Amino acid sequence: MTRLRRIAATAVVLSLALPFSARAERELPPEGGEPKNFSLPEAHTFSMINGLRATLVPFGNVPKVSVGVMVRTGNVDEKTEEIWLADIVGDMLTEGTIRRTSSEIARDISDMGSEVRVRVGADRLSISTDVLSEYGLDAMRLLAEILTTPSFPEGELERIKADNLRSLSVARTRAQSLANERLSEVLYGDHRYGTTYPTKELLQGYTIDQVRAFHSKHFGAARTHVYVVGDFDTKRMEMMIRAVFLSFAMGPPPSEQIPNTSSERVLHLIDRPDAPQSTIRIAISVADPSHADFIPLEVTNTLLGGSFSSRIIQNVREDKGYSYSPYSSIRTHYHDAYWVESADVTTEHTGATIGEIFFEIDRLRNEAPSEEELSSVQSYMSGSFVLSNSSRWGIMGQLIYADFQGLGDDFLTSYVENIHAVSADQVRDMARRYLHDENMAIVVVGDTALVRAQIEPFGKIVN
Amino acid sequence: MKTNQTIAGVAAILSLLAIEDAGAGLNVPVEYHKLDNGLKVVLSPDHTTPKVTVAVYYHIGFRNEPRGRTGFAHLFEHMMFQGSGNLGKMEFIQLVESSGGNLNGSTRFDFTNYFDIVPSHKLETILWAEADRMRSLDITEENLVNQKGVVSNEVKVNVLNRPYGGFPWLDMPQYANENWHNAHNFYGELAELEAATLEDVRLFFDTYYSPNNAVLVVTGDFDSKEALGWVDEYFSSIPASELPEPPDLTEPIQLKEKRASKGDPLASKPALAVSFHMPERNTPAFYAMGVIDQILLQGDASRLTERLVKSEGVTGHVAGGINALGSMYNYYGPMLWTASLRYDRTEQTDDILSMIEEEIEGLEDELIDEKTLQRALTRIRSDWYDRAGSSTFRRADLLASFALFDDDPARINGIEEEFFKVTPELIRKTVREYLGTEKRTVLTIVPEAGDEAENGGRS
Repeated sequence: MTRLRRIAATAVVLSLALPFSARAERELPPEGGEPKNFSLPEAHTFSMINGLRATLVPFGNVPKVSVGVMVRTGNVDEKTEEIWLADIVGDMLTEGTIRRTSSEIARDISDMGSEVRVRVGADRLSISTDVLSEYGLDAMRLLAEILTTPSFPEGELERIKADNLRSLSVARTRAQSLANERLSEVLYGDHRYGTTYPTKELLQGYTIDQVRAFHSKHFGAARTHVYVVGDFDTKRMEMMIRAVFLSFAMGPPPSEQIPNTSSERVLHLIDRPDAPQSTIRIAISVADPSHADFIPLEVTNTLLGGSFSSRIIQNVREDKGYSYSPYSSIRTHYHDAYWVESADVTTEHTGATIGEIFFEIDRLRNEAPSEEELSSVQSYMSGSFVLSNSSRWGIMGQLIYADFQGLGDDFLTSYVENIHAVSADQVRDMARRYLHDENMAIVVVGDTALVRAQIEPFGKIVN
Repeated sequence: MKTNQTIAGVAAILSLLAIEDAGAGLNVPVEYHKLDNGLKVVLSPDHTTPKVTVAVYYHIGFRNEPRGRTGFAHLFEHMMFQGSGNLGKMEFIQLVESSGGNLNGSTRFDFTNYFDIVPSHKLETILWAEADRMRSLDITEENLVNQKGVVSNEVKVNVLNRPYGGFPWLDMPQYANENWHNAHNFYGELAELEAATLEDVRLFFDTYYSPNNAVLVVTGDFDSKEALGWVDEYFSSIPASELPEPPDLTEPIQLKEKRASKGDPLASKPALAVSFHMPERNTPAFYAMGVIDQILLQGDASRLTERLVKSEGVTGHVAGGINALGSMYNYYGPMLWTASLRYDRTEQTDDILSMIEEEIEGLEDELIDEKTLQRALTRIRSDWYDRAGSSTFRRADLLASFALFDDDPARINGIEEEFFKVTPELIRKTVREYLGTEKRTVLTIVPEAGDEAENGGRS
């Protein structure tokens, strides 16, 4: 059983010093009061003999409960000739169990006030729902049934494949999907993360036997973690979990296919004739969430481009007006991460935007931020952390992230403290250590005829 | 500190409600006040987490923007982040973020809102800041030019460079409605956005951004008396303005089906949307439509999903509902109920329309059974608990809407009951009256892009 420790009150929000210009006639904002205590809601965790783990968090004051079942599988377990097979498996899970048809599943969960959502990601698959408290135990039984005893009716497979073909077709017309696809290819190459979309032929060829084989090979209790957050009876919920997952086979341990990544300064230009905007990605691999540099990197990212007040947004949006929503983020897989700046910018400002992004990266590499700027960022991050822990899904998301990355029991309780421990020099050093602009890959999806000359100064262009 | 100040300035306390019991449902605390200058103030404490949400809603949405200035209400929303009497450009945003908060604003049919979610000890700071920008907008030509650039990029990323960009949320109201206020391009024609002047901005602010056209809602972890003291201190001296006569928003009753189609150079698959006009807000038929929406469209067990997705397999998802830019609770004027889907070029649009028609007619031919009605009500209740019971923004959104549009935020505790009054007979009557084929608008998207997946895709 794990108990989340209390976070010291003062660590949550440090005092505030605003970078206001000293215009004498101006009134200053009132400072506000003393920060209040914040403690993470307590979690009750247990493991079963088959390796399944569960985390239960009573929380909130409305009669709702969220249930999530996270399985450590996903596209990463597909072979080269199985792209999106995991997605098909995910869709087929709710098409029937040995006890219920797909319509019965839909009606039963609707009678509890909700839906069953299945999400398939690169290395995680989740089945979740969000029901009225009185149906919490029924919902758990239903999700377990869907996960452990799907019937995979062959008659539904063609329809599911047709739905996926439509999604694929639409994805191929979106500039952002095309940019992300190329970026993955550039960063991950032959690793499974490097391929985003299947061909039509591949997708059409999947058989029900392949679906069943994927499920029996990659699903199992040892890869499964159950989360319950909200208003429910902990004891009865634990009994229910133990009962409904009792005969779930242990299965394989999680696969750990950690990619070796590298990147170089090459510009990938994908033509989108007449596009009024260019979709830009500038990216590089960085330390992963299990590394000691990761939290300092998160602070660095938030200051550079990850919040409304951040430098790149102030520059590219609020000063130049080149883009509506430029933002930087650190994207993660299991023990893998890359930093990426994303922006959709007016075609004529494509080159200028890339120039400004590199300008801001270099500025941070050359000079540590002021204490004021850093402490603002730290307050913003700790405030956002508290906010994330103010909803059922937010709490579950934090727990899933920490468990999935294997960050240990004190990761969440010491998170705010660790954010505030980062120094200004450290932020500069993170930029120096990881944000090598000479090695960043650049992807631009835009009108080649108008964009090519603008981006030529930034390096070798490939199509 | 001014924490123990009296609330003498709050002259007209209309009601101070502390509802004890609202039947079976959720019981949300609602304290409603009006300042002398007309500002509506709603307080709803909830101590679940040490956060407060401050939401300011102005009763000006894109229905009311000036002719020849389409998109102006939304452009103006951006200007509210560009500087006020005591806060220069970026300083409002920095103040909120460095306080540990998040913020945003949005423009909708009938309101423009601004909200901040901050740690509770920063409530006074944020009330001061919201009052500052209600009192005194202070922007330059440079700020305006900058935000025209930002907004035109917003339109490009969300509409112009995106397959199905304005479909159906931006397109449909332009076809289904007749009254210009409801039927214009509210994201804005780029040329009209470009034509906006600083004088337009000033005039719009002076006309609509006054306390007597706004509501301030505070939800979350705070003390009501203390909060009311700060509200009085910072907001009560903001002068009221004379508001123009509200425009006539009424739509003529539709007597004949409308059809439109639109080419989309970026889309690879056809798409179809069907809209019907909603019954007037807060009438029995309005709540019946909330139930009908559940039965027909919401969730995997809904009839349109069962039919179009599961039995016919023409699409993977039927989307839609009441108010594409919000919920059935946060609008004021005429509204649409819409269902939309994408499908393959091999399907016949008219076949799909017939299927939709049959499912709607099914509600008229046969009274719905008790189980179906209960299922819809359970889903509404489940959704409602997370709206009204939310400790942050979603509750504030309901309270702001009910105060702004009905002068009655305490309605939040009577909504569930209204749904329970809906009967199978009322559902049949509502379908007859509002969902006939002559009442619908059909919009189709004609795909003009090649279908790459159809041709094999990349290898």
